[in-house]
Amino acid sequence: MTGGSEDVWREHSAEVLAALLRRSGDFGDCEDALQEALLAAAEQWPRDGMPHDPKAWLIRVASRRLLDAHRSTTARERREWAESASAARLLGSRPDLPDAVEHDDTLRMCMLCAHPDLSDASRVALTLRGVAGLTTAQIASCFLVPEATMAQRISRAKATIRASGAPFAPPTQADAVTRLHAVRHVVYLVFTAGHTTAAGDRLVDLDLQLEAIRLAERLHRALPHDPETTGLLALLLIDHARTAARTDAAGDLVPLDEQDRALWDHAAIARGVALVEAALVKGAVGPFQLQAAIAAVHGESTTVAETDWSQITELYRLLLRVAPSAVVRLNLAAAIGMSQGADAGLDELEGLRSDPSLTRGHRVHAVRAHLLERAGRSEEAREAYLRAAGRTQSIPEQRYLNRRAAALER
Amino acid sequence: MKFVILIHSTPEPWGHPTGDFVAEHKALPQEQRDDMNAHFDQVLTQLQENGELVGGEALGDPRSSTLFRWADGDPIASDGPYAETKEQFAGFFLIDVADRGRAEEIAFHFAGPGETIELRPTMWPGGDDQ
Repeated sequence: MTGGSEDVWREHSAEVLAALLRRSGDFGDCEDALQEALLAAAEQWPRDGMPHDPKAWLIRVASRRLLDAHRSTTARERREWAESASAARLLGSRPDLPDAVEHDDTLRMCMLCAHPDLSDASRVALTLRGVAGLTTAQIASCFLVPEATMAQRISRAKATIRASGAPFAPPTQADAVTRLHAVRHVVYLVFTAGHTTAAGDRLVDLDLQLEAIRLAERLHRALPHDPETTGLLALLLIDHARTAARTDAAGDLVPLDEQDRALWDHAAIARGVALVEAALVKGAVGPFQLQAAIAAVHGESTTVAETDWSQITELYRLLLRVAPSAVVRLNLAAAIGMSQGADAGLDELEGLRSDPSLTRGHRVHAVRAHLLERAGRSEEAREAYLRAAGRTQSIPEQRYLNRRAAALER
Repeated sequence: MKFVILIHSTPEPWGHPTGDFVAEHKALPQEQRDDMNAHFDQVLTQLQENGELVGGEALGDPRSSTLFRWADGDPIASDGPYAETKEQFAGFFLIDVADRGRAEEIAFHFAGPGETIELRPTMWPGGDDQ
């Protein structure tokens, strides 16, 4: 398969799959038909040239395969299929649904893949498969698991969706809001999974962060006036813009305060900042907009010292109100440490030290170590760095924390 | 998140599943042993089906090991187990789960009389700057 054909296929796969799902209700059958159409394309396009409308071509060929498959199924299966298809048609004509969900196939594919009955891992895998058009082998390689394991996860996810009935029926208005929230969450999970796998040492070198940004762009195109979706895209753009500065030549972690900001992608940051500013004025402030706003403050600062830490502190306070979590409280403590001094940060942290879900991880110890170091309490800082190093699962982070501890040794 | 479940055991003679060769396990009534084995099979099947089990291997007799050590500036090889401890490293399972809570829930099912199960997180090569 040539690179050009694959791009076309990836671009249209969600829409083709959606078109098939309107005819059948079975995710697995539709995907099989799509795969067969792709094989046909791989054979015919290089020979006969790319069709004028590749999407229509893929839909036509895949539909024919789907029909062939249905002809060979048993009468019982055919009846079930007819029932689910007519149910989908009935539900599909409900007038009270948001226009976007009604008309945007990619969006409906995303919602299907973010099905509430699935685990986060399955939602992510299915979205990469059904919306981003990655192969099972590519997805398995991204998550460093064998292909068979990932295939099992995906087929289980499809079975779960099948069991839930009328899978491609558009959700009700109230359900659509919840499902959209789940979709954004899944895209964010894809992005953070991209943080955890190092580029270059995988069999298939796929950048999950770029996949997540592609997904967020598509969502934003479908829902340009939804502030949280805009916030998500802005957050991913600004965060991704720092990639080049995040590790040094040896692959070791470079913390935010030591990053060479000339390496940041300032055009991407500017776009993210403009997006989040436009979203924030619309009211209905949500967690993605606030996180994007925090990333925007960092992105626009030329040094750590001139960063507006009071504004970041206030944004974390707001975030804590709309989406309370231990991690946000931890970040708030770190921000207070910058805006009001290390001692104030340590005071804020004190309340978190009894939270077992936090003390088990490395973050609370790492934040405390930084604050102690800035407060001049070197020995305690060293111990906290070592405690953090013993708890992180990231190799670069462990090297970084051990290095900080070693620097405090007298 | 990935974790390894390490099985430390002393089957005598060395064999798998280790439970069949561990004295404390063999001392239990047959009915109870059958129940435990059936339960464990069920757990493994479930982990395989839901994609949480990434892989695993049963290890050979530690007496079949060869050890390589550094001595006088050169590596030298010697036969035999790494340590004459009561429990040896007998096998491992690699799982990929949502969080540590789920990993612990799974590891509980691997525990058996006379054996020690160690749950250990794996490291990942990436980093995060905040």
